[in-house]
Amino acid sequence: MGEVFANYDVFGAFFMTIRLAVLSAIGSLLLGTVLAVFRMSPVGLVRGIGAAYVNVVRNTPLTLITVFTMLGAHSNLGIRVADPASPTSVVDTAFRWGVIALTVYHAAFVCEALRSGVNTVPVGQAEAARSIGLTFAQNLRHVILPQAFRGAIVPLGNTLIALTKNTTVVAVIGVAEIAYLTAEVMENDPGLIVWLFLVVALGFVVLTLPVGLATTHFGRKLAVAR
Amino acid sequence: MTGMDSSAAAPSDPREPRGADPRTDPAGTGDPAPGAQGTPAHPHRSGRPGEPLVVLEGVQKHFGDLHVLRDIDLTVGAGEVVVVIGPSGSGKSTLCRAINRLETIESGTITVDGRPLPAEGKALAALRADVGMVFQSFNLFAHKTILDNVTLGPIKVRGVGKTEARERAMALLDRVGVAHQASKYPAQLSGGQQQRVAIARSLAMDPKVMLFDEPTSALDPEMINEVLDVMTSLADSGMTMIVVTHEMGFARRAADRVVFMADGQIVEQAAPEEFFTHPRSERARDFLGKILTH
Amino acid sequence: MSAPVQLFDAPGPRGRAQQRVAAVVLALLAAVVLAAILWKLGERGNLTAAKWAPLVSPVVWRSYIVPGLINTLYAAAISIVLAGVLGLLLGVGRLSQLAPVRWVCATFVEFFRAVPVLVMMLLSFWGYLALDAVPGAYLPLAGTVTGLTLYNACVIAELIRSGVHGLPKGQAEAGLSVGLTPGQTLRSIQLPQALTAMLPALVGQLVVILKDTALGYQITYAELLRQGERIGSAYGNIVLALIVVAVLFIVLNYSLTSLAQWIEQRLSRRGRVAGGAQAADPTLGVDADPVAAGPAPGPGAGPGRG
Ligand SMILES: Nc1ncnc2c1ncn2[C@@H]1O[C@H](COP(=O)(O)OP(=O)(O)OP(=O)(O)O)[C@@H](O)[C@H]1O
Ligand SMILES: [Mg+2]
Repeated sequence: MGEVFANYDVFGAFFMTIRLAVLSAIGSLLLGTVLAVFRMSPVGLVRGIGAAYVNVVRNTPLTLITVFTMLGAHSNLGIRVADPASPTSVVDTAFRWGVIALTVYHAAFVCEALRSGVNTVPVGQAEAARSIGLTFAQNLRHVILPQAFRGAIVPLGNTLIALTKNTTVVAVIGVAEIAYLTAEVMENDPGLIVWLFLVVALGFVVLTLPVGLATTHFGRKLAVAR
Repeated sequence: MTGMDSSAAAPSDPREPRGADPRTDPAGTGDPAPGAQGTPAHPHRSGRPGEPLVVLEGVQKHFGDLHVLRDIDLTVGAGEVVVVIGPSGSGKSTLCRAINRLETIESGTITVDGRPLPAEGKALAALRADVGMVFQSFNLFAHKTILDNVTLGPIKVRGVGKTEARERAMALLDRVGVAHQASKYPAQLSGGQQQRVAIARSLAMDPKVMLFDEPTSALDPEMINEVLDVMTSLADSGMTMIVVTHEMGFARRAADRVVFMADGQIVEQAAPEEFFTHPRSERARDFLGKILTH
Repeated sequence: MSAPVQLFDAPGPRGRAQQRVAAVVLALLAAVVLAAILWKLGERGNLTAAKWAPLVSPVVWRSYIVPGLINTLYAAAISIVLAGVLGLLLGVGRLSQLAPVRWVCATFVEFFRAVPVLVMMLLSFWGYLALDAVPGAYLPLAGTVTGLTLYNACVIAELIRSGVHGLPKGQAEAGLSVGLTPGQTLRSIQLPQALTAMLPALVGQLVVILKDTALGYQITYAELLRQGERIGSAYGNIVLALIVVAVLFIVLNYSLTSLAQWIEQRLSRRGRVAGGAQAADPTLGVDADPVAAGPAPGPGAGPGRG
């Protein structure tokens, strides 16, 4: 195992994975929330746009979206996300497109996780809130969202875990994270395969296990008894 | 049971000064019978005793092809207790829910205390604050304690201070007999206790009128009475109430008037004794024959 | 698309006016975005007949798209079969009476579930190459299938385990009480019911596998996405080629999702599974759109790789 660490920048690769995961988690939470609001809107057209986004994106492979950002948006359409004159332009471009691809893809799943949280709230809760004179905003703030959020903890946690593992996909556009490192090690030292597997497996267990444990714990602890 | 109503004639009975005598006002137009007013204010802030408080005129409502409310005219006077009965699907719940606009209507008018139902926004919220609603399935806020369920409305809607809201809530919980459960969550209470909390939650808003949609039909038999008792004492205190229920004992004991609905129409209305002993319409005789033999 | 959106109160006249305004503004915005995309595509010369022509030419379909589609379906089909078998073994192993068997299976599942599919593909691809275990032409396929199989077997094992645990206790007790051994009870009573109950989730997992075949792109497997990219470099129309590939994926997956929903509805209607049909408490009905409502996401129906 020492050889893997000695000859390759394992920590650097994992740090890149974490950076990708954190940034795209924030991004997809924001975009996913907007989409969830769209999908629950009373206006048919708005709902339609939300539904179309979710159904298109979650049925498209993440690899395709990632390849599209680089070959399509960057090369063909000439959309720039980093200053071409900067010395780190190549690395920045790949990283930023990676975050964008991950965000776009996972927002669809965040949207569905939030929606499933709202769906755990019985209609009667909203009606009771209306009946005592709460306004729409008060109803959301004090009755619906607190319950919906608790119902969304576990699906959101699952989405975060999947996102963390999915960061590997952006190796396809040259972001130097774990999958990129894996290919590099295997090309040079295929003999390290078992050690490499253990390092990667342990690394991802360390990254995702706490998320899983925490969401299960809080999902249960905060669960609304009905 | 029939003995209960005889006391209604006693001058000291707080229910005496209730609105239009339904017996002389079968159409329910709500014109107060002359001389029906008198005794001073009761604890609730409904309009002057006897004046029409909730008025429905020509109310129509469809669900798709289904005509659920057909030209409903109904007037409920301040302090009056009206029981609505009728076969399943006759539109009782829809009627009840229309009064605080949980269901919208297509035509006709509904006024509460002289003001037409606002269509939306703050005005609608304000109206709903004045109209209490008790649901069949209780609908207590599942993530809040019993006490917080009762104080939420007063604090957020009425702007009452926290301490005051709490004291008031504890008094109400005491009145419905669940004060010792105040710090529990709804799921930890029995159905009967939950429904009594739901009543306290509505009362905390000082409503002008309370709507009950089959408040006891989700309850185990042994819990029905504890809820009916609370409702009866509420009726005795002069609260204006519209109650959808099949509890005939309650209707006889507490109602001023029974409204019988079938197929979205008000088929007949009369004082409880008269309705139960001499129903005028075939539909009502038929319906009573079915439920009373049970 | 009906609109029983109970999150919102039924609108009044002002609410309806606001909704109309919102709809118009959003429609305009959508039109602007669409126009901008088209303009951008056009500016880069993507909207010429010359760029589109290859995508409707039979030659291109015959030599790129159809083979890519076949390869995608091929890898997915092999993987689902292998993953099904391995998953069943692991799932039953985790329910075994023998503690060591349970531990081995649990460790295997936890480890291989933690590793991203792409990493498994890379490891097996380069591993086979180093060991010279697979003929060169089959290396990309073998790598793709290995990665997909190992990961999805773990998912299926978990589905089976939770499916059996989700059955009413009475089912196992009834089996034992008529004199079946615990093993017989598992085989003849619990597993068949659990498998039926998890059928929709399994079909849902097929969508994940199908999408994940695209990961084979990174180890040069000639699946649909790789073929699309080849069209792009041959004809200089990468954007259009990727759009066509995306549409194919969406149509395929959408059909599979609909199939999963159809199966689920049939199952719950027939009440084939004890305790399978739960009484639906009406909730804030935001599922105006039946398609997106989807089957209850099992452990596998999350955001797949790909
Ligand atoms: N949201 C709705 N959409 C469509 N139809 C509805 C809806 N709500 C009620 N209905 C129908 O309208 C009719 C009247 O319903 P309502 O609930 O008012 O009857 P009810 O008299 O309260 O009956 P019950 O005694 O069963 O509660 C019924 O046939 C019911 O199926
Ligand atoms: Mg009803």
